[in-house]
Amino acid sequence: MAGELALVADILSIISLIIGIFFLSLGMIGLLRLPDVYNRLHATTKVGTLGAFGVLLSIILQEGATPMGIKALTVALFILLTSPISGHMIARAAYRMGVKCCEGTCMDEYAGKRRK
Amino acid sequence: MKRRLITYMALPVVWCLVSGYVTIGSLFLGLIFGMIVVEPFSKLYRLDEVVHPTGDWLAKIPKKIKYFYVLIKEIIKANIVVAKIVLSPTINIKPGIIAVPIRAKTNIGITGIANTITLTPGTLTVDISDDQSILYVHSIDATNPQGIRDSIRDDLEKYVLEAFE
Repeated sequence: MAGELALVADILSIISLIIGIFFLSLGMIGLLRLPDVYNRLHATTKVGTLGAFGVLLSIILQEGATPMGIKALTVALFILLTSPISGHMIARAAYRMGVKCCEGTCMDEYAGKRRK
Repeated sequence: MKRRLITYMALPVVWCLVSGYVTIGSLFLGLIFGMIVVEPFSKLYRLDEVVHPTGDWLAKIPKKIKYFYVLIKEIIKANIVVAKIVLSPTINIKPGIIAVPIRAKTNIGITGIANTITLTPGTLTVDISDDQSILYVHSIDATNPQGIRDSIRDDLEKYVLEAFE
């Protein structure tokens, strides 16, 4: 019985690892293909979060409540907190540096409202 | 309740999670290291300030769980949206920056709604206005700005307000 449970945990762990790596590689493709810094941030912040979650969930399933598993859980929490903040700071810094939006941008309600 | 007491309760737990060993000794070690690290900067962290934790913090835990459920669902949806855009043969997007009025008033509420917007499909927070009432949101598909404003107000902000304000 214990052996079967370990097998199920192994299979689930491999599936979540594959999902995580799939989304991480999608994020990298998006970083290369999308036109400007703001659209590239869409790819890296969102896809990076779920990709890292997949890899960390795989570690948790393999390790269980061992020190390594608890560390993986902590890393997942910190990524959930910090990833959107870093994306927001990069976007704001880029806008203040004067990085233009790409061609095809249809509206910019932020223009002229920048704080001094 | 002083902020120092809350800090000294939280730091040992963080130490346990980071070190990976959840034991009494580890909690104690975390308390000692927390004191050593935080005490020289007590002015900076305003440790002597008296804060009043709102009494309904515990009562809002079911709402917080609901919020995390919505957040995970939206993260998965956002990833599928980005995957579709990235894998399409020609990239055909109409991005734009939209002003979104928000109802959240407290700092934690505004932080929560801004981070939630960044993690949800097609939107990314860029900045907040001076009077903290308008968020400027970059959207990957800005052909229907009113629809995005409505979806943020009805689908996301409701849960954030219930959970954190």
